[in-house]
Amino acid sequence: MPVLALDAGNALFKTLADGQDPAAKPRAELLLEQLDAQGYAAMAVGQRDLVLGVDFLKKKTKGTKLKLVSANLVDAKGQPLFPASVVTTVGGLKVGIVGVSPASADPKAPAGSSDGTAFLPEGVRGLPVAPAVTAEVKRLRQKEQVQLVVLLAAVPYVEAVKLAQGAEGVDFVVQSHDGRGVGMAQRQGVSTLVPPGERGRQVAKLEVSVDGTGPFADLSEANRARESQRMVEANIARVQERLKAEKNEDTRRSLQETLASFESRRDALARTAEAQGPATGRTYLLTYLQLGTDVASDAAVQKQVERVEPPGSAGH
Amino acid sequence: MSPRAPRLAALALLLLLPMVAGAAPKKLVLLFTGDNGGEIAPCG
Repeated sequence: MPVLALDAGNALFKTLADGQDPAAKPRAELLLEQLDAQGYAAMAVGQRDLVLGVDFLKKKTKGTKLKLVSANLVDAKGQPLFPASVVTTVGGLKVGIVGVSPASADPKAPAGSSDGTAFLPEGVRGLPVAPAVTAEVKRLRQKEQVQLVVLLAAVPYVEAVKLAQGAEGVDFVVQSHDGRGVGMAQRQGVSTLVPPGERGRQVAKLEVSVDGTGPFADLSEANRARESQRMVEANIARVQERLKAEKNEDTRRSLQETLASFESRRDALARTAEAQGPATGRTYLLTYLQLGTDVASDAAVQKQVERVEPPGSAGH
Repeated sequence: MSPRAPRLAALALLLLLPMVAGAAPKKLVLLFTGDNGGEIAPCG
């Protein structure tokens, strides 16, 4: 199946104070090189990607296939610092990928306020998120005629939820900012919010099938129902076997009650599977690929990693 | 039934088949990462 790899941002630095760490720059450079080498099409610019400034990001991605995207980051004169989106066709589907970064925090706001904004470096301003996304999505849908829109939202969770609830024309919102880790894809208003995992420990795999228009349906609930249905059917078969052999009337009655309860559960699960799982239309299935020690490392990349972080060092 | 009917049906099938094939759902795998936080050796 055709694959499109995307990063939702906040990939490059551990903390906002990372600029003081001499290993931070080679680490960020290696990450950008590898995102490009591994075929990523786009990455949103998050607050923690700006630690070494915009020029560092632009220099390191000049001429690469990997595109850094942000619909709302502007310079001091109000000029966009990055393209708002990229459009690519994969598997016959024209996909629009929009990036969005946090809106600038009010310098007078109390520290730690959770209004969905963030402090950005000097000379970088984050415009309000929703209008920037709405304008770009409208352009992609009307002018570019894309069939699928993915929003890489390198913004606080609270802001991403608001976006998912109101961003008409966005199919999936992939949120990255607070390190929330793995989770379930959740329908929020008009689009679906997807957690991408964290700290290089997993990759979120979203299998998408597009046939026509309309909202996407989640196949995972139907799959879970079918799995449970199979388990209940196995239990039913075991109870029926016991019933055949059982002579004691009391035990038979008890088994018959158990059987009735299992059959009722099986029927309920079948109804759930049927209601949730249209075989056609627009569907998705989210799973995670865990990148544990059981996944082999690429030897050449491993060498590069060890040059930056030798085995036994604090970060390794 | 007119003797022409089967040929017409065959022609219709022939012409409609590519449309049916073209209408197959488009499938795509989207791989997402995020919040990597500068991690290059995630065992640490």
